[in-house]
Amino acid sequence: MKFFEKMLGHTQSPPRVGAVEILWSWIGSFAGIAVVALIHYNLLDRTALSMIIGSFGASAVLIYGAIRSPLAQPRNLIGGHVLSAVIGVAAFQFLGQLPWLASAAAVSTAIALMHWTKTLHPPGGATALIAVIGGDSVHQLGYLYAVIPAGLGALVMLIIALLINNIAPNRRYPEFWF
Amino acid sequence: MNAANLRECAPVDISDADVMAAMKAMQGYIDITPADFREVYRVAYALAQERMLNALKAADIMTPTVHVLDADADLIAAATLLADKGISGAPVTDSDGRIVGVISEKDFLRRMGAGPGGSFMRVIAHCLKSKGCVATPMAGRTVRDIMTAPPITAAADISIGAISALLMEKNINRLPIVDAAGKPVGIVTRSDLVNSFCMLG
Repeated sequence: MKFFEKMLGHTQSPPRVGAVEILWSWIGSFAGIAVVALIHYNLLDRTALSMIIGSFGASAVLIYGAIRSPLAQPRNLIGGHVLSAVIGVAAFQFLGQLPWLASAAAVSTAIALMHWTKTLHPPGGATALIAVIGGDSVHQLGYLYAVIPAGLGALVMLIIALLINNIAPNRRYPEFWF
Repeated sequence: MNAANLRECAPVDISDADVMAAMKAMQGYIDITPADFREVYRVAYALAQERMLNALKAADIMTPTVHVLDADADLIAAATLLADKGISGAPVTDSDGRIVGVISEKDFLRRMGAGPGGSFMRVIAHCLKSKGCVATPMAGRTVRDIMTAPPITAAADISIGAISALLMEKNINRLPIVDAAGKPVGIVTRSDLVNSFCMLG
């Protein structure tokens, strides 16, 4: 009975943020994704490299939209993406013949490692998964995937976060570095 | 209120509405639900309270003993001293200076018809019903005859939390603090305790 009762929930959603916060979240994420996408489409266009992966959209939610969250801090952003990328590539290389298994192992192991290293960053799960399901262009990168796009993209997004999130007097980022 | 529910003294409780209002007052998205915040608050508050109850010892808050009564002193001298010094009680020592009891207004009141509760109003009622002053039978008696003995005492390193519990449990107002030889070195009264509790709400 307790088991089903727990499914009812027991508290309420936190309050809606103010209009100013919404505006700064919009500005920050626009700038962050814009810079990463510009590098991807204009600078790396003729190379086999890429700069942008889907999980950066999720990172933008945290580092521009929930900047006080422990999950959004630099340690988590960079650590979460790089470690998860390594796990994802390893999962593909060792278990790639069974894509369902490689996918599940990549995400679950990435979460475990992020917890263990105190770098939990939800988009890291996507970074690990993309290493498996991302197709040939991702697979050809091998472990370089952890540096470009995962590490470098996250670093560019971090720089934009530091610049944009500290403009408004009532906003500050980060809460901590390591 | 007894020692048991003093221990369970609840922290200043906060409601979900309080947490929601605080979250609204802070800029930015606070990544925690009101219920989780309250859980963190309750545990942290209990730890803080525990730390504060143990941080202060009797030695930090006691009044060093200045007024001690000899067990063989007569009650006129004892009552005069208490009145002159504006205190309501004092430790009682034997000829070696060791504590043998505590004497307070309650001990006098009890002999004046106040009953075991030591109520002054009971004395008034008793006084109005009978003829003459009810204190006179005590003339010629000594402190030893009416003091509370054996005394409840503690060492200087007792925490204020433990003192509160002891005062409540034994229903006493002052706790003499004694050294290893049993000689009084200070006294902690309820008012000393109230002063030390100012931060505990």
